[in-house]
Amino acid sequence: MNKKYDAIIVGAGVIGTPIAYELCKMGYKTLNVDKLPDAGEGSTAGSCAIVRAHYSTEDGVALAYEGFKYWLDWENYLGNVTDEKGMAKYMNTGSILLKSEGHDWRKVQKHYDAVGVKYEEWDLDTIKKHVPPIDLHKFWPVRRPEDPTFFDEPTEMLEGAIFCPEGGYVNDPALSAHNIMRAAEAKGGEFMFNAEVVDIRSENGKVTGITLKDGTQIDAGIVVNVGGPHSFKINQMAEGVWEGCNIKTKSLRHEVMYCPSPEDYDYLNDGYHMSDGDIGCYVRPEVGNLFLIGSEDPDCDPQEWVDPDEFYAGKGGHGRDNVLTDEQWKAQCYRLGKRIPTLQVPNQPKGVVDLYDCSDDWIPVYDKSDLGGFYMAIGTSGNQYKNAPVVGRMMAELIDACEKGLDHDKEPFQYEFKYTKRTLDVGFFSRKREINYDSSFSVNG
Amino acid sequence: MQIYVCIKHVPDSAANIHILDDIRIDEKVAFLLNPYDEHAVTEAAAVKKKVQDSEIIAVCLGRPDAEKTIRSAMAMGADRGILVETDDVCDSMTTARALHAAIVQDGSADIIFTGKESIDSEGMQTQFRIGALFDFPVVTNAATFDIASGRAVVTCELSGGRTRTFELAMPCVVGAGRGLNTPGYPTFPDVVKARKKPIKTIALDSLAITPAAGSAKTVALTPLVQNRHPKKITGTPADQAKEIIRILRQEAKVLA
Repeated sequence: MNKKYDAIIVGAGVIGTPIAYELCKMGYKTLNVDKLPDAGEGSTAGSCAIVRAHYSTEDGVALAYEGFKYWLDWENYLGNVTDEKGMAKYMNTGSILLKSEGHDWRKVQKHYDAVGVKYEEWDLDTIKKHVPPIDLHKFWPVRRPEDPTFFDEPTEMLEGAIFCPEGGYVNDPALSAHNIMRAAEAKGGEFMFNAEVVDIRSENGKVTGITLKDGTQIDAGIVVNVGGPHSFKINQMAEGVWEGCNIKTKSLRHEVMYCPSPEDYDYLNDGYHMSDGDIGCYVRPEVGNLFLIGSEDPDCDPQEWVDPDEFYAGKGGHGRDNVLTDEQWKAQCYRLGKRIPTLQVPNQPKGVVDLYDCSDDWIPVYDKSDLGGFYMAIGTSGNQYKNAPVVGRMMAELIDACEKGLDHDKEPFQYEFKYTKRTLDVGFFSRKREINYDSSFSVNG
Repeated sequence: MQIYVCIKHVPDSAANIHILDDIRIDEKVAFLLNPYDEHAVTEAAAVKKKVQDSEIIAVCLGRPDAEKTIRSAMAMGADRGILVETDDVCDSMTTARALHAAIVQDGSADIIFTGKESIDSEGMQTQFRIGALFDFPVVTNAATFDIASGRAVVTCELSGGRTRTFELAMPCVVGAGRGLNTPGYPTFPDVVKARKKPIKTIALDSLAITPAAGSAKTVALTPLVQNRHPKKITGTPADQAKEIIRILRQEAKVLA
């Protein structure tokens, strides 16, 4: 006879584990299945794990600000569980958003005011005082080094920055998912690894369980797709689900670089997280006194949509596989080299290449589906790591409400934030929504 | 002082290398400055700082896109570049003859730096062949370099952790090892300056080099598959430490 659970969660990354944890706390018997050997080993491990509040929508800002409170209270959130691997640490560096044409920072500031996010306005002297090696010229628009104008001398200056003292990053994203797994297990949750889902079974418009690659069938009346970059493949396995989504997801290849900080700048201990739309990069400190350089997806950069299985197998060739490219290494490092002119850029690329589970408008889909009992927390688009604990709670409450009869498509579930006491209309994340043109259509969300 | 640095355009060691037709690699991977040559360029830049009116010339035999690697060397301190252009994959005999001819045509070398080896073919011969063609003394795997009373003083790393210090008449050829220095990587302003530095391109054929009496060519290329057999060391931390020491002594034999 097949094993039976109340809910099966496909994926054990930083979104899949808190959904399990919260469902367990509500009394559900859960099983997470993941094709990898441990929690957080997929695209979670490749996340830059940045915790910052600036998003292009007010709901986005509110969700991130709520999430911040969970990271601050990590041990309590996890019920003071012990993890033999140790606990992930939130590093509060503070977060600088440079005012530039690359960000709609006025809109962000308006959302900060509406949500109550603490911030300061910094002029150029203040930025320079906090970040001594910085060059505050305006380099806009973002270009690629292949373009000769990339090397033009800048003439204008930036106007300043918005600084949030609350912001930073989590030092080990894979470990954070592992911590949540241990917390879920303490509440009765089960986890199965090296287990690849090949089918989502259903009968009469209602999900009945999953089938694994080795033929094992596991039954549950609730299945949650948290497959990360594989989310579109999981949706396609479930009857009518893919077709029922107006917003689709696909996997986008992304490169993040590690470049040594200038020797006279202790970036690891003195540095800030910084979003710099003027050069299309964001940065945070990394162990080894490195700059971690992410890309804010400027229009001039190529978008590489890939098959996740081929990508992780190292197939597809230059620019499509899981190896950094020299072109993108130079693009991101030289862009930052304009901002930090003493940054020395090695010849050999170093960093991480992974995938975003990207939605059509770079805003996630946190929703039910057209198949009864099948839910999804997908399309995280490289910008949801920080929200994971809140999303876990929100998804668990959404699932519980729908299972108790709520028609979420007609009367969207209203989620009460635990810390910031706002109410979020979860319909904002609906699969049926039209593309949200308020989005930045980038990792900024 | 004219300081020539012989550099090579090699595949990134972190790339996924695929072999095509059992004879060549799929070249659709990142190519960059051979890592040992980074030490050579960095040392040349250090000498230039000490010896007034020095000029550093990066010389490379390779395909047209090796220009990118010459630009990297120029961003790290070379003043100009020479690209001896060929689409052929040359053995170390031809490579040494080509680099020798290009240097002779260009000027008069006081020091020639190379890397101790290239990370793609790992031949470790080119520096010696260049030295022989010039009749210059050669040392390799240099860990320190100095000039005293018109002679080069070079300490080289030998196997087994030993070093040997040589005094060489100049001009000389020095193969840089990893211990020589920390590569001085370029800043963005260095990259901007390097874009304006000149590169002279010479077709390999135009150098009309005398072919070597012998030659070496690749007849087959097969991937080296290294099977790994990981095993988990379990038990208390004390047990684990004991087991690691046992493995290091008895299996790896790196501890007495």
